[in-house]
Amino acid sequence: MEQTLFEKYGGFSAISRIVLSLYDRFLDDDDIGPFFDDVELPKLIDHQTKFISAIMGGPATFSDTHIERAHVHLVITDLHFDKLKELVDETLTEFSIAAEDIEIVLAAFEERRPLIVRTVNVD
Amino acid sequence: MSIEAINEQLLRAIGVGVALVDLETLSLRFKNDTFVEWFGEEDPAAKLGDLFPALDIEALTIAINDGGRHTTEASFKLRRRTMTVAMEFNRAINASEKIVVLVCQNITRIKELESMIDSYSMMVERNTLEIKREKEQVEKLLLNMMPRAAYEEYKSSGIVAPRVFDPVSVLTLNFVGFDDLLNEHDPGVMVSELNDIYSAFDRIGEQFGCERIRTNGDSYIAVSGVPDPMADHAFAVANAAVRFLRYLGQRNASHPIKWEARIGIATGSVIGSVVGVQKYIYDVFGPAVTKALELRGFAAPMTITADETTVELLDGRFEINASEPALHDEENPQQILSLSERKEPALKSQI
Repeated sequence: MEQTLFEKYGGFSAISRIVLSLYDRFLDDDDIGPFFDDVELPKLIDHQTKFISAIMGGPATFSDTHIERAHVHLVITDLHFDKLKELVDETLTEFSIAAEDIEIVLAAFEERRPLIVRTVNVD
Repeated sequence: MSIEAINEQLLRAIGVGVALVDLETLSLRFKNDTFVEWFGEEDPAAKLGDLFPALDIEALTIAINDGGRHTTEASFKLRRRTMTVAMEFNRAINASEKIVVLVCQNITRIKELESMIDSYSMMVERNTLEIKREKEQVEKLLLNMMPRAAYEEYKSSGIVAPRVFDPVSVLTLNFVGFDDLLNEHDPGVMVSELNDIYSAFDRIGEQFGCERIRTNGDSYIAVSGVPDPMADHAFAVANAAVRFLRYLGQRNASHPIKWEARIGIATGSVIGSVVGVQKYIYDVFGPAVTKALELRGFAAPMTITADETTVELLDGRFEINASEPALHDEENPQQILSLSERKEPALKSQI
């Protein structure tokens, strides 16, 4: 069986550090942070853990419907989404994830852009 | 700088929130930098209850009066992050005033990690459950393809070694005019009829101690004595055979499609083994199977033919009639015998 990124980088013990670091970055960021203002801590951590595990091939599955439903009430623009990708890139680089693997993760994000970004009506 | 001044500076700079609380007025006398950073100083007159609305002041007072110590936890938002601190109140040694030292340790990271472990263990548990369910499905499928003993061997060593089983008895059955039935009826109907009939055969077989090896279209093959030895294997297949016919007779009486079977039973040796690498299947083959198939060809519709070895083992418990012609084996000519239920009531009760 092909090794997933999750296994390659040391399973949950390693991924948990990435999750926490990403969590810090998201919360501290003034563009993305406000989206998490009213989210309860366990829910937010749960979301992040599953999310990172899933995109790195760990024991979690996120259906597209689930992702869409979780973001439907938020007005997320392309700028927000780009910023988020930037933070993910920064975090993974800091944790010495190989460039080609970061590409894979970012591509997985990009694939879901249409589910998350809302086209703002500028009328 | 005096020792006191150094101490105060240390106290201010430490990464733990420290405050002095007047237990009479519940006002805060001193707050170090960390405490101020966490709980603010917009209102210097803010009392303990204002800063920690969820704090049980009564419990605190009782605990301090009793043992001089009280611990609890408090959560608050710092910017958009939920912070959690472990609070420890200790009575200060001061006879004239009721002062307690409040120390707040930041346990936010621990709480975050706890949440993460909860979330992760839930994922793992769900996955484990799914894997367990899939494993059961696979096991069920494999048990359909091979006897449990062979499956256990396959599970522990990855292979099933071929084994000779001798003696065993084999029952083979097929239907008269099967191709015509196929042409006359819808394939769905035929499959459902066969399902029905083969399931009934399986049940009857199980009742008498024989197990289906395989079916191939209208050909149904069962064996008694594989993989576990069976003392009266010939009796088991003979019993199953007469009941298969009895079942079909009853079924035909009430169903539009009439199924007429021919059955051959024989006794001898067989080999049981998993055959194939990619598409493996537990197969039983050998002289007894070949002979039973051959005998089936000589059976008239709704009758059973048996070889001499089987009939000898049955020892008069069934009605046996010589039938012709003899098997075309010149070196070892054998009589083909027709087998049916005994009609005498006294003996019938033994069956």
